[in-house]
Amino acid sequence: MFEEIIAHADPHGDHDTIGRRLPRIDSGKRVTGEAIYPADFQLPGMVYAKLKRSPHPHAKIRSIDTSKAMELAGVLAVTTADDFPELEPGTAVPMGQGSCDVWMVGQINMARHKVFWVGQPVAAVAAIDLHIAEQALELIKIEYEVLDAVFSIDEATAPAAPALYDSMRTTGLDTPSNKPTNVCSRTVFKRGNSDSALANSDETVELSIKVDTAHQGYIEPQSVVAQHDRDGLTTLWVSTQGHFTTELVTARVLGIPQSKIRVVPLEIGGGFGGKVFIHGESVAAKLAEKCGRPVQLIFSREEVLQGGSGPTAALQGKLEIGASKDGVINAIKSRIHVDAGGLPDMNPGIILQVFAALYQTPNLFLEGFDVVTNKPRTEAYRAPGGIQAAFLMEQAIDELSQKLEMDPLEFRRRNASVTGSTMPAGTPFPSIGVLEIADAVAAHPCWTTPLKEGSMPRGRGLAFGYWRGTSMTSACHVTISGDGRPMFTLGSVDISGAHTSMAQVAAEQFQMSLDDVYVATGDSKSVGYTDIAAASRVTRTMAAAVIDASQAALAELKKRAANLMQLTAEELTYDHGSFRTANDNGPSMTVADVMKATLTQGAIICQGSSSNLPFGVEVGAHVCDVEVDKDTGQITVLKYTAFQDVGFALNPPAVEGQIEGSVVQGLGWAISEGFDYGSDGRLRNASLLDYRIPTALDVPSIDTVLLQKPVPGVPYGLRGVGEVPIVPVAACVANAVARAVGNRVTQMPMTPERVFKAMTAS
Amino acid sequence: MELFNFQTPSSVAELLIAKANTNAWLLAGGTDLIPQLKEGRRKADLVIDIKKIPAMNGISELEDGTLRIGAAVSATAIAQNVDAIRSYAALASSVALIGSRQVQNRATLGGNVCNAAPSADAIPALICYDAMAEIEGAEGKREILVEDLFTGPGRTQLNPTEVLISFLLPLQSERTAAAYQRFTPRREMDIAVAGVGSRISLDADGKIIAARVALASVGPTPLRAASAECVLMDESPSSQLFEEAGVAAAQDASPISDTRGSAEYRRHLVSVLCKRTLASATNELLQDTWT
Amino acid sequence: MSKEILECSVNGEQQSCLIDRRDTLLELLRTRLQLTGTKEGCGNGNCGSCTVIVDSQTVCSCLMFAVEAQDCEITTIEGVASVGELHRVQEALIKHGGTQCGFCTPGVVMSAVGLFAENPSPNESDIRLAIAGNICRCTGYEKIVKALMDVADPKGAD
Repeated sequence: MFEEIIAHADPHGDHDTIGRRLPRIDSGKRVTGEAIYPADFQLPGMVYAKLKRSPHPHAKIRSIDTSKAMELAGVLAVTTADDFPELEPGTAVPMGQGSCDVWMVGQINMARHKVFWVGQPVAAVAAIDLHIAEQALELIKIEYEVLDAVFSIDEATAPAAPALYDSMRTTGLDTPSNKPTNVCSRTVFKRGNSDSALANSDETVELSIKVDTAHQGYIEPQSVVAQHDRDGLTTLWVSTQGHFTTELVTARVLGIPQSKIRVVPLEIGGGFGGKVFIHGESVAAKLAEKCGRPVQLIFSREEVLQGGSGPTAALQGKLEIGASKDGVINAIKSRIHVDAGGLPDMNPGIILQVFAALYQTPNLFLEGFDVVTNKPRTEAYRAPGGIQAAFLMEQAIDELSQKLEMDPLEFRRRNASVTGSTMPAGTPFPSIGVLEIADAVAAHPCWTTPLKEGSMPRGRGLAFGYWRGTSMTSACHVTISGDGRPMFTLGSVDISGAHTSMAQVAAEQFQMSLDDVYVATGDSKSVGYTDIAAASRVTRTMAAAVIDASQAALAELKKRAANLMQLTAEELTYDHGSFRTANDNGPSMTVADVMKATLTQGAIICQGSSSNLPFGVEVGAHVCDVEVDKDTGQITVLKYTAFQDVGFALNPPAVEGQIEGSVVQGLGWAISEGFDYGSDGRLRNASLLDYRIPTALDVPSIDTVLLQKPVPGVPYGLRGVGEVPIVPVAACVANAVARAVGNRVTQMPMTPERVFKAMTAS
Repeated sequence: MELFNFQTPSSVAELLIAKANTNAWLLAGGTDLIPQLKEGRRKADLVIDIKKIPAMNGISELEDGTLRIGAAVSATAIAQNVDAIRSYAALASSVALIGSRQVQNRATLGGNVCNAAPSADAIPALICYDAMAEIEGAEGKREILVEDLFTGPGRTQLNPTEVLISFLLPLQSERTAAAYQRFTPRREMDIAVAGVGSRISLDADGKIIAARVALASVGPTPLRAASAECVLMDESPSSQLFEEAGVAAAQDASPISDTRGSAEYRRHLVSVLCKRTLASATNELLQDTWT
Repeated sequence: MSKEILECSVNGEQQSCLIDRRDTLLELLRTRLQLTGTKEGCGNGNCGSCTVIVDSQTVCSCLMFAVEAQDCEITTIEGVASVGELHRVQEALIKHGGTQCGFCTPGVVMSAVGLFAENPSPNESDIRLAIAGNICRCTGYEKIVKALMDVADPKGAD
């Protein structure tokens, strides 16, 4: 049945609900402040928690004395790592397609024995108000043995660098070493012989870049409310990208069975990859257990930035690329180092894939290392690693096209991957539309209209982006109400309009209006396991689950209708809320009547699920015009256009909104956002004043051009949408700057000072 | 935050009595003080809200043409005041750079000055206009040049009993114009990496007969660029002259390197902004007829 | 004692509340009055999520002590819409898709309400300047600006 639906899903066909420009069904509560995030959630008797954080970037914890804090009037509980079971590094639980080390998550929540970065939690208190909780923190006495620390890839990989972990040995080396190291792993993709191919290329480009750590910058700081009731059940009200993962991981960190914990997702005020792991949920739960009162824990913005959450990885790397005179790429060779922060395992494989995804080459050598440093453990951020990789690759491509004196669009077209081309890992590309996007760019005024001269140098940049995304598993179920309306419970939280798009799919399936369907996210005990809302997977996979559940429910309804009408199911067709026979004048029965007659004879509850759907590979191309102040190095983005193949735009404004937001996040990192660590390992710009997220004045209007080339085997041909539009942004700006001033900026963010230095270096 | 007492005096006399307490902090807009108290960078036993004191509020023109601006007047009130916009445009535009609109609605001129951040946006314009600070304390009243107020980052020469009541901006001679520009990575919501305020007054022949160049964010206090002013005096405005003034101003600066920029880059920015503010002021006076 | 009684008007209702002198206006609104529509994104006036209107002026409620609000008239996001009818700024944000995660949205609404009270027909740069103190991480501002331009000139090009 499912295959039939897919076969009949014509994205460009006539649809009642999908593909229409509809406002979010839950906008009303957002514009009025009625939407409830964990910081807004209150329970009777609730008390407030604060975390004591490490002032040192690398130190052994000698002792923690919490007695004075406990004596302060109004303090109800204090906790440290001693209250949690000791886990062994490598205690893995499944997460997404891979696994997640619970020991590591435990360290993010509460350091044990050692601290690895400034801001890592070491103790926590719960008190009747926040003023008292803050005072109590100062009464907790901790003795540290301060250790030498490393704050950059260069420092961490230097010969005499202090090792964060005595037991760490680099995995994936051709010749294993037995010396302690800060290099966690080596990942390689290769084919052919890139060295000799480079030597034989007519033109080559070699480029090295450095990218600073950046933050996802969600406006809602981490927050949670925890309750531990007298029957031993812990309930968490959370802001998360995945409440099932939160439950799984928190249970392990606390050492309790999953039957004793329930996770209720509330609204999430932005995540972008940064709200996948837990950051204080287990601590709030432990405090709630210890004091017998509900506990609310909310991070301050400084905590979010200064080690309380996982920012995303800094990266440095070098790329060499060679081509023949006629513009055919012969070889790509790259080596990158990823700064994972204080805890290991930030696999660079996903980043390396970006280097050779869009363009084909017979000779490839990609090598990635992940390195630990005394900085916060890094986490995902929208197409994690993609923008950094594209900053290197797409600048090199641009530079090479300049050397070849070839149009940069034409050069890309000549080397473009097509469906069936070989991916870096050796498998064939699923449906990919590089050439179609190149055609759309070539025909668009943003590319064809000559750039107007200004008082300062101007340039036009082009960059492409690739992101694979993933599928994983999604579940939902539907029940039919007594008046015949479908009521959906989804396993995914809504981070990008999923409730609206799934209501559209459900309405389309039931041929009803949007107001006739109910869609909500279930808590971790009321719907089936669903993977995290990340990796551009929710809309595609949940749509498949919703269709699956809808078809099952319609089949059950049809069976009941047939019984009531004394016909066979085969004689009935479903049409806009009614079952009827082929004969226009024949009998018919509404779904409402079916339910009225059969409600008390058993519930209709049908589940839908989706796993391992084909990938919704994302490709986009961006064009921007910039002006560079030659006296200060300041970049002004004058115009920005983003092209993207979205497969099918289930809700066009939602799709545009993902792209527009993504581009501006990319512009932030490209130009103004980067972590600046002092020599003491403290973040020097741990505020939204000095960590400069773009304001409405810093960005131009963003134009979006949506292409819709359906992916086979996916409902409506949906592609992933939300990640790729950040990938090309920094490279696009850098390419525009290079064409404006003739210098390449190889450090990101491209702050005015860095641009100025690049301009004056020559 | 430690617990503090809170008072809302309604006159300067009441204020001075309250201020005699040890460790009392004045609360004007609070946009600097509240974060400082929250983060523990300052501790207060007493917080005194000065916004209910008439003498510290209001903008008025005195008989001799001086514009008096109360220390507790908000940035928005100054930015929207017609007298300030007409005669002290560099000040009116510089206060509109302090934080967001929400912040400007609270932040006050007195607060921006007394917080004594080297980066304070309003100070270079005040220095350019030779503004005086009207001060009252246990030992009486005094008036000093705003330029002379600052002794270090976050420090002024006000003694613990003293309070800055208002600013006095002298009437500017005809053919006077000034401008303030700062450099920030973001357009708004940012702190000056460097800032320059410039004023020039021309005589009938178009010669510069008075010049002020004041710098923000390039020293422990806001600075006057004396050698840049020397370059300008008795000369006629020209791009070449402003270039030279910029070079001199850069030498007058003594910036540090921090998260907002290196000393070297800041020095360079001073020369660029000096040139640009002088050009802007000259444009206003000569309507683009100068070369 | 750290507690005292504060009297002020919030969304047209006279309030008399017991406050701690260290409470910011934001804490008063969120914790003591349970008006949680006003959000805290940074606590230092750098994000605008906590924007409210005090005596006709937009302010960051995290940058004001609650005691300073004595006798003030305060409007929060809860006071913007009337029963059954949203403010035109709210309608426009819904229509144009100007809200995603929704966390910054109450602050954006308050800044926009403040803007239109002062200037009924702002242009795009007035609008961008007016919301420059409201950091939004989801939308890239595009659909917020479009929505507010629609409010400024409902007959203008879409």
